[in-house]
Amino acid sequence: MSTKVVITGLGVVSPIGIGVPQFWKAALEGRSGISAIPSFDPFPLEGYRSRVAGRIPGFSLEQYLPAGQGDRVDRYAQFALVAAKEALADADFRMEREEPHRVGVIVGAGMGGMVMGEREITQLYEQKRPHRVHPNFIPVITLNSASGIVAMAYGAKGPNLTISTACSSSAHALGQAMHAIRAGTADAVIVVGADASITPLVFAGFCSLRALSTKYNDMPERASRPFDRGRDGFVMGEGAGALILESLTHAKKRKARMYAEVAGYAATSEAHHMVIPREDGEEVAITMRLALKDAGVTPAQVDYINAHATSTTVGDAVEVKAIRLLFKSRADKLAVSATKSLVGHTLGAAGSLAGIVSALTLTSGQIHPTLNLDDPDPACALAGLSAQPQTRKTKVALINAFGFGSNNAAVVVKSLST
Amino acid sequence: MAKTSDVSDKIIQALADYLKRDAASIQTTHHLRDDLGLDSMAVIEMLYRIEEVFNIQIPDQDLVGLTTVGQVIAYVQGRVAPLKAPAKIPAKAVAKAPAAKRSTKSKKA
Repeated sequence: MSTKVVITGLGVVSPIGIGVPQFWKAALEGRSGISAIPSFDPFPLEGYRSRVAGRIPGFSLEQYLPAGQGDRVDRYAQFALVAAKEALADADFRMEREEPHRVGVIVGAGMGGMVMGEREITQLYEQKRPHRVHPNFIPVITLNSASGIVAMAYGAKGPNLTISTACSSSAHALGQAMHAIRAGTADAVIVVGADASITPLVFAGFCSLRALSTKYNDMPERASRPFDRGRDGFVMGEGAGALILESLTHAKKRKARMYAEVAGYAATSEAHHMVIPREDGEEVAITMRLALKDAGVTPAQVDYINAHATSTTVGDAVEVKAIRLLFKSRADKLAVSATKSLVGHTLGAAGSLAGIVSALTLTSGQIHPTLNLDDPDPACALAGLSAQPQTRKTKVALINAFGFGSNNAAVVVKSLST
Repeated sequence: MAKTSDVSDKIIQALADYLKRDAASIQTTHHLRDDLGLDSMAVIEMLYRIEEVFNIQIPDQDLVGLTTVGQVIAYVQGRVAPLKAPAKIPAKAVAKAPAAKRSTKSKKA
């Protein structure tokens, strides 16, 4: 019997709220965090095919952290610090009572420090003064700056890793943290997913990839519409999610409140195409099946799926095809929701937000609505999808996450009352 | 003003360069995916070149009608010479392209 791994703390920085209570209230109310991008100054906004995003305007680090802490890292790492702080407090996890080398940090980040990265690259090429590249440029754009700063801020000296698999990054971070605890290399892991790259270059790149929604620039709140017939691409978001994972033994020893168990995980590659998923859904179905097997649960026991559901035409349909392949007649009995309909696609943060939503769903029995499901697409219809909040007893949740590079992840989260 | 043949030659040449094959082997009736083997990402890369050659921006919603070489030529001709040529893709061409299957919005993301 392998070590059980439980979730004991949650933290969120999102377009619909900073802090878990605000986030979850807004999610259940079906509030959209998508708004018009006011400017990419000095670049003309008309040059961007998509002009909507799930932004966090007015975020100020000083509001959440002591002065000086985190002012040398990029926006995504600042989000990570704030989310981790909340999660540690939520778990009542006190580092002074821990053996620091037994506490790890695993961060999932897709793009990393692009705010400073873009600025420095632009300045170098414009001004041609290499000696004026900022001394902090390298530490900031190095992709493990968030995992580094989180460890420094909170004194976690155990395994410190960053996983970058694009949109599935923090689903893998959750899974790898579970593995580290199961393997006995850590008692607890601070898992964070973070990205903040609604920046002129990255955003333009996603526009050029024709991956973003462009039809709803005048109706931002309607742009992210997973599974709806009118969907036309994803909406980029920013944010961070943090979860404290620890062994059941460790959590019990310190009498921690437990949300749920991270019970299973699978990581696969479709070995197919950099950005296009296999249209038959076979590989996604295999990934989900492997995660369920790892968790020791059957498809018949699954109650809820937090879908990857980015609101792209093909991606959403492939996911539903895969769900039908694996779950067969049970597919229409599952409750399903698409968190990206609320906050957009937060890239590296997406898997961690899905983990947080799953933990809250399992403990509350409340399933957040999937926004803009006005005209469900028959190609990806599931009876358990709803534009309204649902209340259902849920004991087993499955998280899907797919990333560029032909990358798939699935994570199983179980109620502790089973 | 760009002549149809100029547009056609430039597009076929751009395709030939992209596909690393002889321009003479590319027909206007060729389907980008089924005949030339372009997947949705390759179509986007090819259109990116064409946007540069003709100094135009192709909105995402127009991509759905661009599934054959002939449709791309007609579309670009309409965009570069709006007063002399039909600005819209011929209705027939649009009708031929089933939306979901041919869409380029197929990213995993």
